[in-house]
Amino acid sequence: MAFVKLNDLEIEVEDGTNVVEAARQHGIEVPHYCYHPGLSRPANCRMCLVEPHVFFPPAGAIVPDRQLATGCTTVLRTAPPDRKLDGKYDFIVYTDSPRVKKARADILEFLLVHHPLDCPVCDQAGECDLQDYSHRHGHDKSRYLEVKNVPPKKDLGPDVLLYATRCVVCTRCIRFADEVSGTGELGLIHRGSHDEIDIPRSHEGVPLQVLDNKLAGNVVDICPVGALISKDFLFKSRPWFLEKANSVCSGCSVGCNITVEYKADGLYRIKPRFHEDINQHWMCDDGRLGYHYVNSDDRLQLPLKRVDDELTPTHWADALAVITENLSEVETEDIVVIGSAQGTNEDNYVLQQFAHDVLKTTQLGLFGQLPGEEHKFPQFTIEADKNPNAAGARTILGSANGNVVLEGEALWEKVSEAKVVYLVSGGPERPLEDAEKAALKHVDFLIVQDVLPSEVTQLADVVLPGTTFAEKDGTFTNSTGWVQRIRKTIDPPGEARVDWEITQQLAKQLGGEMNYHFAGEIALAIAENVPEYADATHQKIGDAGIKLADSDQ
Amino acid sequence: MVQERRILYEHLDVPDINTFDVFRQYDGYTRFEKAIAEYQPDDIAKMVMDSGLKGRGGAGFSTGLKWSFVPRDIKPCYLCCNADESEPGTFSNRYVLEKNPHLLIEGILICCYAMGIETTYVYIRGEFTLGKEMLDAAIKEAYEKGYLGKDIRGTGLNVDIYTHPGAGAYICGEETGLIESLEGKRGQPRNKPPFPAVEGVFGKPTVVQNVETLCNLPFIVGNGVEWYTQMGPTYADTRSDPPTPDPNTGTKLYCISGDVNEPGVYELDLGLTCSELIEVAGGLRGEEVKAVIPGGSSAPILTHYELDTRLDFTSLTLAKSMLGSGGIIVMNETRNIVDCLLNIMKFYAHESCGQCTPCRWGTPWVRDIVQRIADGNGRKSTMTRPKFGVAENGRWGDTGETEEIYEDLDLLESVANNIANVDTMTWNTICVFGIAVSWPAVSYMRKFRPEFEAAIREGELVTLPVAEATVPPEENYAYQQRFVPKEFADL
Ligand SMILES: Cc1cc2nc3c(=O)[nH]c(=O)nc-3n(C[C@H](O)[C@H](O)[C@H](O)COP(=O)(O)O)c2cc1C
Ligand code: SF4
Ligand code: SF4
Ligand code: SF4
Ligand code: FES
Repeated sequence: MAFVKLNDLEIEVEDGTNVVEAARQHGIEVPHYCYHPGLSRPANCRMCLVEPHVFFPPAGAIVPDRQLATGCTTVLRTAPPDRKLDGKYDFIVYTDSPRVKKARADILEFLLVHHPLDCPVCDQAGECDLQDYSHRHGHDKSRYLEVKNVPPKKDLGPDVLLYATRCVVCTRCIRFADEVSGTGELGLIHRGSHDEIDIPRSHEGVPLQVLDNKLAGNVVDICPVGALISKDFLFKSRPWFLEKANSVCSGCSVGCNITVEYKADGLYRIKPRFHEDINQHWMCDDGRLGYHYVNSDDRLQLPLKRVDDELTPTHWADALAVITENLSEVETEDIVVIGSAQGTNEDNYVLQQFAHDVLKTTQLGLFGQLPGEEHKFPQFTIEADKNPNAAGARTILGSANGNVVLEGEALWEKVSEAKVVYLVSGGPERPLEDAEKAALKHVDFLIVQDVLPSEVTQLADVVLPGTTFAEKDGTFTNSTGWVQRIRKTIDPPGEARVDWEITQQLAKQLGGEMNYHFAGEIALAIAENVPEYADATHQKIGDAGIKLADSDQ
Repeated sequence: MVQERRILYEHLDVPDINTFDVFRQYDGYTRFEKAIAEYQPDDIAKMVMDSGLKGRGGAGFSTGLKWSFVPRDIKPCYLCCNADESEPGTFSNRYVLEKNPHLLIEGILICCYAMGIETTYVYIRGEFTLGKEMLDAAIKEAYEKGYLGKDIRGTGLNVDIYTHPGAGAYICGEETGLIESLEGKRGQPRNKPPFPAVEGVFGKPTVVQNVETLCNLPFIVGNGVEWYTQMGPTYADTRSDPPTPDPNTGTKLYCISGDVNEPGVYELDLGLTCSELIEVAGGLRGEEVKAVIPGGSSAPILTHYELDTRLDFTSLTLAKSMLGSGGIIVMNETRNIVDCLLNIMKFYAHESCGQCTPCRWGTPWVRDIVQRIADGNGRKSTMTRPKFGVAENGRWGDTGETEEIYEDLDLLESVANNIANVDTMTWNTICVFGIAVSWPAVSYMRKFRPEFEAAIREGELVTLPVAEATVPPEENYAYQQRFVPKEFADL
């Protein structure tokens, strides 16, 4: 630990911390553009200038250093005993001296000379570092009278637009494409004040490569100004009108930490949230843009039942009555209950409890999205398992005595012999493979709980409208054993209900004794009954998640 | 009358000196042979340190000291010869490349021997096609004669030289911009530290040296330190107690251009005055000297009051200017300083690499302000303000007088100072290109303020008579703070 005098504070920081981070840890802002903790440090914006104080032998005193230093590249370390300042400090640095304040204002003035000042029509307004820093650290008027550069607006890729006039040439986006995605689509063209971000183009301006890698959306997040803009979010909403909830991506088994931004009428965008061990600062575009199914007009809003071979809307009481009737007629061994890798641990726990305690069956299965492709980048991997909770669902479904959790071929074999199947799906529309379809067709009475009409619901006798990750609380367990919380944002559409509530209602209808009121209560039951999850209460999980003890084996 | 002292340029005009055989007749490679026969590498490094040789590329940093920063245990270590010579008003390296390339090779060999370097890159300004051709031919010949390549002359010494042409960017003359460019990246200077001596080409220790600096080495080795230090003054650095010697030894290839009768490169001892140099170059063309740029276009300008300044590293630094690349541009009474600054600012605005904020957007801004003034659109306020200066009590303060407010001159000075501050000698940029912008801008404006004011007042460029155009010495910030160093021997 280094002992540092930061302004009037005496602080201890870990060796190797830069001044920007050290200050941030103590609530002091050192404005910065080019510095991003997940990228290399070119120190090109000069926004983070700070004033180190050094020992000046001729004067025999500690004095302000001749030059200001960039806080992003000034690293704090323990000094050898004979080099301590004032006999105790490893470093002395000021982030609020008059010289620093003047330098900041001056740099901001330069940053704004060519800026169009089009905040009223800029998507970034409200969450823009240029706006915020100008407000907090800048001059109050412009002295620039000359002609402004007006570089053209450019389409860089499927989801990314460049408003080049707003660019502060911090090169974060270039470094991201070079270092994290390793795809290198971005670079600077021209020189000096005509510097422009661009993709490779022929002399005629035809793109030779576009910014279409699966991590491309991150450049929009890290762009400190409104230069890089997501087409998906463009002109949709002012950011300050959006509610935010910390959650976890349901796009694959990585379990990226996210912030879901929403209004009452639906989800507006998804942004990555830092988690050191899982996704660092990033997320992929599949996860980022995959939320649209939640807002879909096609969402199942009412229970459906088959009448004259046609799925027709009905009310909950009727749907549940039809199910109870069919379930009470079959033998236990003819029932298969299939949980979902899209569902939460809580959903699956209630489901297995229903199967085990109420239906008295030990025949369970696990269903989920079809596997996709794995994508590896230098600093990020998108996993092939497109479910957020396969690991959790597998453990939880199999947690009660004697439970067998079938998957793949074995499951479909069992299904084709069953009379009644209760299948929970969820997530984006799931196509069926031939074998799956054939097996499900064999079933006399198929109950499907899902969020969208799909090939699965088409085969059902009763369809129950469930909820997506955005409409419920609960936990997911990712492929590396991190248990993390998702949170309810919007209300489910129409009459749709949280999945475990539906299952619990069914259980009650069949005389089961289950009475959970909220997801956290189920998590407590899991913690009590599933040894690996002993610590996985919502309280302990919090926003950081917890890692299961023996999950590495 | 001062005489040229030709050492580096002695044999420049000998026919076919660019060929190995002729070069050999004029002691070619004997200094290198002497080095490997008579001295250990460390001896050479010590000789260079003792010779007081300072880098001729611009910064004037002690070559021996630079070598001492290179960690000896990290290999490979590289030598980069800076032949990018792009500073306006500078053209001395070019003649070495075109006419006497073997001299450079010999200098490189000595440096490589002293530093244990096996690979040298010569980064040549792209426009120097002839220079590159001649150097490439000379390198080929040196390989054939066994002075380059493996096991040179049976000594076990290996040295390879590669030449690399630039693509026309001034900033690739800055040593780390050069290194980036050499590595195949955009020519953008790096943050320092680490300096190239520690982390340079491909992350390895690298000695970057100007062509002229390297060409001094054969003569230091050949004629000895004592002979070398007799040329040029050695001043006393009085910042330390007791004063330490501050050598400005050797000759300098001064490139004299502008309003002189015989422009060209003159090899002279360091330490001559500006007036003496003008004499050497055939005297002034025109009636009177209006201004002199002493060290390439990035150096602050000197007025006719400052012509007694000695043109060496220390004296010019203490006169708030710099020797830089030794490109001396003389201007007579017909020159308009506003126009001259505009010309220079156009160059710098075009050449900023664009990496860091103050320079990227400040430099064109400065250019535009000067352009506006030159176009007759400079702004002057209708109000006046108290004039600050040396007051009656002899201190800085309100003089009791009022002055007119030339808003654009205030703006020009402020913007330039925000890139790199002339008074505190600090810069907010990554590299000292920022200084090359703000120092001329502020010095021209302050020292020839009447001409700038006239342009704003009259709405067009007005070339004033020299006496009127120049601020008097007592109002000249540089002249006021100027410090004339004493020679060490005189103490
Ligand atoms: C903007 C800029 C341009 C420069 N251009 C050149 C150049 O063209 N040639 C050169 O030798 N040094 C140039 N330099 C100086 C180099 O950075 C470096 O100091 C020099 O090559 C070191 O060699 P020396 O010690 O032998 O002078 C330039 C420096 C700056 C800041
Ligand atoms: S587009 Fe954004 S991230 Fe990229 S250089 Fe410009 S300001 Fe920085
Ligand atoms: S990698 Fe997986 S978890 Fe992360 S954002 Fe992409 S789909 Fe979501
Ligand atoms: S000062 Fe100018 S030339 Fe130097 S790095 Fe910054 S932008 Fe480039
Ligand atoms: S954040 Fe430090 S220079 Fe840009």
